Formats: sequence, structure tokens, C-alpha cells
Amino acid sequence: MKLTTKKSIIGALGLLFLCSLVLVQWMEVARRSEEAGLKEPHITVPATSVACVNCHAQTTAGIIDHWKGSTHARKGVGCVECHQAQKEDADAFNHYGQLIATVVTPMDCGRCHQKEFKEFTLSHHSKAGNILASLDNFLAETVEGSRVNFNPHSPTPGMTPVVEKVNGMASAFSGCQQCHGSKVALKSSDGGAITLDDLKPGPDGKPTNADAVAKIAKDSNGKPILTANTWPNTGIGRINLDGSRGSCSACHSRHDFSPRRARQPENCGKCHLGPDHPQKEIYEESKHGVAFRDLKDKMNLDAEKWVLGKDYSQAPTCATCHMSGNMRNGGKVTHDPGERISWTNRPPVSVLMDTDKDHKIVNETDPEKRRALIADTWQDKRARMMDGCTTCHTSGYVNNFYRQYDDLVILYNEKFAKPGLSIMKSLRDNGMITKTEFDDKIEWTWFLLWHHEGRRARHGAAMMAPDYTHWHGMFEVAQRFYTEFLPEARELAAHSAKDGKAAQAKAVNDVIDAILARDEHKWFKEGAEGQTEMIRKAMQERYGTGGPVAKSEEKSEAKTEAEPKK
Amino acid sequence: MGVVANFIRERIPVSGDQLRELTNEPVPNHLRRWWFCLGGTPAYLFVVQIVTGILLAFYYEPSPKAAYESVHYITDEAAFGWYLRSVHKWGATLMIAAVILHQMRVFFTGAYRKPRELNWMVGMCLLICTLVTGFTGYSLVYEQLSYWGATVGANITDTVPVIGVYLKKLMLGGEVYNERTLPRFFMLHAAVLPVSIVLLLGVHITLLRLQGVTEFQFEDEPEDGPKHFNFFPDHLYSELIIGLVLMILLSVLATVLPSTMGPKADPLTTPEVIKPEWFFYVTFRWLKLFSGTAAVLSMGFIAFTMFVWPFIDGLVRRWWPKSEFSVFAGIFAVIAIVGLTTWEALVKH
Repeated sequence: MKLTTKKSIIGALGLLFLCSLVLVQWMEVARRSEEAGLKEPHITVPATSVACVNCHAQTTAGIIDHWKGSTHARKGVGCVECHQAQKEDADAFNHYGQLIATVVTPMDCGRCHQKEFKEFTLSHHSKAGNILASLDNFLAETVEGSRVNFNPHSPTPGMTPVVEKVNGMASAFSGCQQCHGSKVALKSSDGGAITLDDLKPGPDGKPTNADAVAKIAKDSNGKPILTANTWPNTGIGRINLDGSRGSCSACHSRHDFSPRRARQPENCGKCHLGPDHPQKEIYEESKHGVAFRDLKDKMNLDAEKWVLGKDYSQAPTCATCHMSGNMRNGGKVTHDPGERISWTNRPPVSVLMDTDKDHKIVNETDPEKRRALIADTWQDKRARMMDGCTTCHTSGYVNNFYRQYDDLVILYNEKFAKPGLSIMKSLRDNGMITKTEFDDKIEWTWFLLWHHEGRRARHGAAMMAPDYTHWHGMFEVAQRFYTEFLPEARELAAHSAKDGKAAQAKAVNDVIDAILARDEHKWFKEGAEGQTEMIRKAMQERYGTGGPVAKSEEKSEAKTEAEPKK
Repeated sequence: MGVVANFIRERIPVSGDQLRELTNEPVPNHLRRWWFCLGGTPAYLFVVQIVTGILLAFYYEPSPKAAYESVHYITDEAAFGWYLRSVHKWGATLMIAAVILHQMRVFFTGAYRKPRELNWMVGMCLLICTLVTGFTGYSLVYEQLSYWGATVGANITDTVPVIGVYLKKLMLGGEVYNERTLPRFFMLHAAVLPVSIVLLLGVHITLLRLQGVTEFQFEDEPEDGPKHFNFFPDHLYSELIIGLVLMILLSVLATVLPSTMGPKADPLTTPEVIKPEWFFYVTFRWLKLFSGTAAVLSMGFIAFTMFVWPFIDGLVRRWWPKSEFSVFAGIFAVIAIVGLTTWEALVKH
């Protein structure tokens, strides 16, 4: 080869190399702008989803727009990857050549997110659908609505089609089940509904009852029809047709499944708010919530791992404490929030979270038997939670906080919850209230006491919101107990006595009297005159007088206290 | 200008003629053929590895607690970090491939024969240093496969009779992989091995210059034509072309197939499939075929045979001067290496 030829080749290759460096520079700039949010991230539409994206961009643009902003889109996970179905699936249908299903269940997500699916399935979240036919649901289905659809009593002007039947379960469907999850149902050709109870899915989620499958009603395109009562629904404990429990999109909203959003308290606030469990409001009132509002911009919410103490430490959110990784636990994330909760404040009387191998709370009271059943103690759970706490606080500080929290829960349990339960039991045992819930006034009173006010007090203490612990909590518990609950119980006993049931009335009154004779309730019966002074004196004995000024105050107070005795 | 030239000449007493002679050795005609230029390729890639390696070392932290995160930082956050890491990774792959190809060329052309036996052995040392550098570099990422690859490597070392247990301890800084292991690998990868390679390269090139390049006469070359051409600029241009092609190739590979990261090393979870880097597939498969000490000893024997091949070849040729024994042995070895590598690449376990 001639030297001039070599020179030309070197020139051409040099130019090519320069071009490759320009390409590298261009890629680096693009990466930086993408990171800075100046540029839309590069997305890859998998070949199988190109047609879906093109069509739905016209028909349901919001879905595609959200999906384009998702990690799924950046990693080439398209529509078909999640919505794919097999022909054996009860809800499968052919959609322009692709066999898909509308409802994406945790089992579907588990195809890729196996660890998360397993953890979530063991969580209390996934069992939230068990509320169906519970006390809370009785309220919505019967008290607020009607288990039987009934005729409207007058027309609704302008409403078409004309309302022929009132859907008595509307409150349960739009209320309870939107958080707790519906039992997803397909329309049956005989006018009924087909759920997993009929389909009897096997471990692979495929129905085993061919008769039920044969009855599934389909629209003109061959698509199985989901009943409007149960779909749309993103309740966290949704009971799906494939037998899996829950809905990942309850927290990871479709179709962008943003981790950023799941990390923020507003996400949990869809359900964890309101009079009975205002966790969201409690959090907002706490120092944690205040810090979050102020420092949100520095919280690095887009970080890939989002490890407390590493990626951020400005403030914790719900996810931080209950689910996310922290510096001390090696960044371990869990999709079972129960792994870190030491008390359950859900029932009338709070219970320590000793759980068995199936993650169920152990209720055994015999110490030996209890120990044998426990697979994960409440102390283990608390230690996991404390990994997060001690990323920012000293262990002494955290231990003292837990002491305050335990004390409040035990105070509530012992002073109001257990006595309340025994009075309710006595009323029921003595026939003063029926077995039907909410048909007696005192049942509403008791429900408000533990379900609303009692939970507010306990949750307030759990998450450091003093106003919820006291004014919205213990104050209202006490007020309800002394001024409504006890008088109503006494009144029921008096009515009973008047009706000739003296023995039953006495039994109830005995229970109440025994409770009021206890030290903590004595004040109500015997009065508490001079108690302020007694408390002050006891405090001074315990903590001292606090210096010369206080001493002079002590003298004057002692004088004041002495005076009445004269 | 004259003042500057004089200043330099007085302090570096080398004349222009001497310099020209030193740098412009006549190059044998056969080197006009591209495949004879493979010897320069690994050296060129070595320079690329040194430059990118220094830049990566600015960010890398050799401790189990920080290694993975620092590589993550290089890959995802540091400016051009992904490019440097990818060029370094592909540079290593190409360098090992180039060393193997160069060795094959030397072997099949018999260029190791007397008086170049020692240079062949130096080349063998360079091959081993290159492979160990690749192994230690792979371990530095501290992802699952690199951690378990290193653990498997240490366990293999353990099976070497007598000294194995000590070698393993020396390698890991303890009985098992621990917090002292990564700093060792890093020192080997970034200091000991590169310096060894530089020294060995110095010996390799010095011997080459002293003995001259083996000269070949090809049938299509006129016998009465010039036997040599100039190093400068003719051969230098060829090397420059190869260098540029390599840089473009590296850039393309780094941008099209950039280095990614697997899950972080978890000493408590053994991955279902443990695979070393591709250049150890052959030994890995060999170890699976003949487990334990037998495999290690046989591998040691093969390595020793490769080391002393020029002398074995010399003996054979003394007895059968026209024998093509070496060529057949080489073909067999290449088939075995390619076969075992492909086998390992195709199977899951």
C-alpha cells in the first residue's frame, strides 16, 4: 500500500473517530438533560405494543402519556407484557390479535416482581378485602345501604335510563371497596355474577370450573364483561379472578407506576385518613410531616433506591418508616408494612403483633403455648422499625418515644377499651341489646369510642401528633365514655329493671360499679376536689422545687392548700 | 531555535542519526501484511487500559462497603463515567483477544524458535498477567457474579496441592472473602500487574529488537526485491490505522453495548448460575470435566507445556527435521480451546 493511501485512510479514520467522540459527547449531554428533567427520557416501545401505543395515543391519550413517563417505558416493558393473558384465563379476550385481560393482578406483576409479590401477599394490605361481611361492611351494606336492591320511592327527574332499582350496595362499592378492594366479578349469561368462588382458580390462576367459564357473558367483541359494581377498583385487598389478592396499582398508580408518588404521603392518604384512622392528618401534624412539607424538594424522591440516610435524611414519609430501606438495614425494602409494626391499633383493644408462621396475630394467652406459636415477635418488628428511627435519632431517644407510645396504648386499653368491652358484653349477655349491630344507640356510642376516637388517640401517639392523641383522641374517648357510654348503659339497666328484669339490671350495674370503683375511675364517683394540688405536690416530691422562686411559690401553694382545712 | 536545540543536545547527548537508527529500524516485508501487526495491538490496547484505568481509579473505592456504589456512581453519575468504564471493559476483552491472536500467529509461524525461546516465555508471562488482570478487574465491580467468581477462583486455588491453601490465603487475605480481599485485588489490578506487564513488555521488545523480527518469505514476493521497508513513516502509519480502527471499534462497542451492573454482591445468596468472564470459559469447562486436584494439576501441566513448547518443538525437530508436529498440536489446541469455550458459553450450568 502506498504511503499516500495510508495517509488518506488515517485521515478518514481520524475523522470517523472524531465523529464517534462527538456521538459520545451527544449521548452524555442527552443523559444529563434527561437527568435534569429538561428532556423526555428515551423510551422503547416493544414491537408487540407498538400497535397498542399508536391506537391508544389517539383514543385514551392519558394512559399512553402516563406510561411514557414510567420506568416500564424506559426499560421496554409495554402494554402486552402486563396485560397478556392465556386462553385459559377467565377474563382473556382477543384484542386486535393480542390475547389480553383488562385487570392486571399482583400475580401478573409477580411475573417480573416476584419478591414484591411474595411480600405483598403475606401483608395485611393484601387481606384488606376480608372486610367484606365484617362489622365495617355491615355499616355500608346494611346500615347505610341495603343488601337487597329496592324500588325508588319517587322518580329522579332527568335521569335516563329511569332508575328501576336502587343499588343498595352503592356505599360499599364506592366507599369501602375502593380502599379495601372488591371481589372482581364477571357478568354471567344468566344475569348473575361470576367471581373466583365460581371459577375456583388453581395455583396458576387458571379457572378449574369449566361450567362457570362457560357462563361468562361477553360483549359483541368477545370481551368478558366486568360488573360495574366491582370494576374499576384499585382497592389494596382486591380479590381477583385468578385467586391473587390485592392490587399493586393501589399504591403504584397506573400507568406510570411512579416510585416517586408511592414514596409520598398523599399516596397513602387515599385511604389512611378520615375520622377513624387519620394517619395522613396525624403525619401532617407531626414534626415528620412538617419537615417533609418544608424539605420535600431535597428529598431526592426520584432516587433509584431511596435509602434513608444515604439518598436522603430530611424527613421520613409513610413509605420511609413502613416500607423503604434505610442505612441501617442495608437498604432492605419490604412490601409487607406489618413487618415493622409492633402494635395493631385496629381492634377495640390494641394487641401486640406477635405473629405466627402464616403472619397471623397470635391470640393465645398461655405463655408457653404462645411462645411456641410465635414465628416473628413484636420486638423483632419494633427492631426493624427502629432501624429507620435510629438513622436520625439516638437509640435512647427512640426507646423513650416507644415508652411514651406503649404507655398511651396501655392506658387506653386498660382504662377505657377493656372496661367498655366488658360493659358491652354484659349488656348483650343480659339481653339489653340485640345481637344485631347498630340497632341500639349504645352500639353507635361504643363504635365511635373505640373505632374513631380510640384509634385517633393511639395513632396520634404512634406517629407523634399530640393534638390527635389528646383533643381528637383521649379527650373524646373520655367524654364519650363518661358522658354517653356509661349513662346509656345505666339507662338500659334502669329500663330493664323497670321491665321486671331486676337481676339482669343488677348484673350490668355491678359491672359498671366495679369499673368505677377502680382507682383510675374513682374521681368520677367520689369527686376530685384538691386533686390539682395533690398532683402538684406529688410532682414536687418527684422532681424537686426548681429553685428559690419555686420555693416561694411552694410556700404560698402550701398555704392555699392549708386554708381549706381550717 | 538553535539555542533550544543546543540546550537539549547538551543535556541529552543523542545525535539525530543515532535516534533515527533507534527508531527507524528496517521492518521486514512480511509486516506489510496486516495480521502480522497483531503484536502491537495488545500494547496499544494496554495504553488505552492504563489511561481509562487511571480515570476510573479517581472514583473507585476498593472496599466491600463502597465498591459497588462507586462503580454505580461511575456508571450512572460521573461525567463520561459510563463511556470510560465501557471502553475499559471492552478494551480488556479486545486486549485479551489480541494477545491470544498474537500468540497464535507467533505459534503457527514458528516465530518462537531458536533463538527466541526466552521471548516466547516472556510472552507467556504477559498472557498470564493479562488474564489475571482481567480476573481481578472483573472482581472489583463487587456485583454478585464478580463476588462469586472470585470465591470460585479462590476455591480452585485451594485445590492446588501443598501450596494451594497458602495461595488462597494470600489471594483473599484470609480463609474466606473478606473486607481485605478487594483492596488486594485492586492493588494487583491497578499496580502490581500493570507494572509487571510494563516490565515484561520492556524485556519483550528489547529482546525483539536485539534478535530482530523473524523474517518470512512469501511466495508472491519477488526474491530479488527489497526485503525491508522503513519503520517511519510506513509501518508507523499501519500501526496508526490499526489504532484508529481499534478506537472506533471501542467507541462503537461502548456506546452500543455499554457496561451494565448486575445485583450487588450478596455473600449469603449463591447465584443459580456462576460464570466467569468469557476468557476463563475454557478453564471453567475443564474444571467441570475433571473435578478437583486432577483438573488443577492437568491445567498446570498444560500451562507448563506451553511455557517450554519452544524446547519441546526443538527436540522434536531435531529428531524429525521436517515434522509439522507443532502445527498439528496447535490446531488441536485451538480446536480444544474454541470447543470448550463454546461448550461453556452454550450451557447454563
